[in-house]
Amino acid sequence: MDSFISTYGFLLVSMTFAALLALSLYLPLMTGQLSLASPGFYALGGYIAAVLSTTIWKVDKGATYPLLALVIEMILAAGASGLLALLIGVPALRLRGVYLALATIAFVEVLRVLSLNLDITGKAIGIFDIPQPFSSKFSYILVSGPMLLFMMFFIYQLERSRVGRAFAALREDELAAAAMGINPTNNKVLSFVMGAMLAGAVGAISAHFLNTWNARQGTFDASILYLAFVIIGGSRTFIGPVLGGLMLTALPEVLRALATQPWLPKFAAQFLTDGRLIIYGSLIVLSTIFFPQGLITPDLWQRRMKRNERES
Amino acid sequence: MQATLIFQQIVNGLAIGSVYAIFALGYTLVFSILGIINFAHGAVFTLGAYFTYMLLGSPVGFNGLLAQQRLPFGLPFLAAVIGGGVLAGLVNILIERVAFRPLRMRGADSLLTLVSSLGVAVALVNLIQYLVGAEAYSYPSNVILGGLPVSINLSVPGQPLVLRTVQIVIFIVSMVILVVLTYFINYTRTGKALRAVAEDATTANLLGINTDRLIWITFFVSGFIGGIAGTLVAMSVGITGPYFGISFGLKGLAVIVLGGLGNIPGAVVGGLVIGMAEAFVPSQFKDAVAFVVLFIVLILRPQGILGRTLVQKV
Repeated sequence: MDSFISTYGFLLVSMTFAALLALSLYLPLMTGQLSLASPGFYALGGYIAAVLSTTIWKVDKGATYPLLALVIEMILAAGASGLLALLIGVPALRLRGVYLALATIAFVEVLRVLSLNLDITGKAIGIFDIPQPFSSKFSYILVSGPMLLFMMFFIYQLERSRVGRAFAALREDELAAAAMGINPTNNKVLSFVMGAMLAGAVGAISAHFLNTWNARQGTFDASILYLAFVIIGGSRTFIGPVLGGLMLTALPEVLRALATQPWLPKFAAQFLTDGRLIIYGSLIVLSTIFFPQGLITPDLWQRRMKRNERES
Repeated sequence: MQATLIFQQIVNGLAIGSVYAIFALGYTLVFSILGIINFAHGAVFTLGAYFTYMLLGSPVGFNGLLAQQRLPFGLPFLAAVIGGGVLAGLVNILIERVAFRPLRMRGADSLLTLVSSLGVAVALVNLIQYLVGAEAYSYPSNVILGGLPVSINLSVPGQPLVLRTVQIVIFIVSMVILVVLTYFINYTRTGKALRAVAEDATTANLLGINTDRLIWITFFVSGFIGGIAGTLVAMSVGITGPYFGISFGLKGLAVIVLGGLGNIPGAVVGGLVIGMAEAFVPSQFKDAVAFVVLFIVLILRPQGILGRTLVQKV
């Protein structure tokens, strides 16, 4: 067990981060908004944590960083991301579909270029030696694990609340929902802000986890990756993005393990390790064609529930 | 600012802006026919540059599956450029078959098509890296320009002004493509059919226009000019690696939104405007210009400069 954790501890924590980031994309999607802005807020949160912990709340090299400071950073990062989301969300969320996706891509790129050129973000080099609150990488799961469970519980409850039902109505038909007295703009901005806050908080803890933070954290590639989590996992339930994030983050390691199998011809083994992003891209294409609703669909749920009812 | 400096920046802006324009035309053609954005267009742009490089008979570097391989022949530059464009066009037809057609047949949501084209882009870019490695390539300069001088020096004392020959070539080639494409769309039978399909695919089909064939032609033309745009940029700055089309692909989005989605003159205007704007800001913020413009345009005038107002249908 110990050797398993020392080998895969980093991966397990990364998987929970991925699931959380997938949820940050799922939240605006609850109102039907395809927003690719999560990497921007993720990067922002990370920079806030990185700057604070290497300047103001500096600890000696090798010393343990206080956990309380980490939590405060996460709250600050969530707050700042939420505020920024509010600022850009009010005008941007009047846009629909592909226009909104484009606007959020533009937002992520502008933030990236800014962080490449500002002194406070360390320009192209980024910020190094971010202090560690834990002695091992796997211990980060003490924060990310409960955070993931809490977010799943939160979204589960949200979907059963008045606000959640308004979100669902907007997703199905904005005009009809507006006619029923649901304010589209307020609800869309709310879901967008919640997603941004989550991405910002994950960014803050990620900065400590990765030890270094630079402009490569918030890129268009990351936008595609999170989108893949949601689309492949399934965008109609919150289980889908979580599962998509966990699975797709583990996929490279699974492929690597597969590549060490002795019966595999050499060229295939090499392809599995070096060509994993080719496989990744192909998987995205195949899943949109064969599983347009993702692996986890609401039907899957209802069928299971009906069967249970019949049995009981 | 000195007059020569302004003139220099205008030349720089026109050269890069004209490439933006033809590159964005590839997006616009597909969008006007299918109403979707082909996110793999940036990858096709990259492919075009690599195809041209290979067709010139130049060797692959030390990494990748094809390390140190080269074609047994080398084409003259003009033939290689056109060959690269044709191959990129064929790949684009393949992309249509694999990533667009199955979804279109099912009448899937256009956002799903967007995602699948993103998947194609990821797969293609990494396939390039797998095959030829991540290193930078550049065309041998004696092949590109033949006997022409590298640059034309128009400086007067104290006022530098240098036109790179590559810039002039880029501008001329882009303009030729623009003129030919405009003629093709406005004055040929196929072009008229294309416009009919863009207006209303179902009616066009009922009137006996083979929509499927036209979609293939559109994807071929889009890939062809995208591939040539890739070669043109690579002539100027070299192929910086498999990812060099990504930022271009994103800027192309800014160009088409600025001009109005699906609007062909709009793409040209948008390309030139963004090229000019980039030439006049400090170089470290150059990459942000297109996106700031994109964001502002989306907020203030989502239909673009030349676009018509879209009416939301219930």
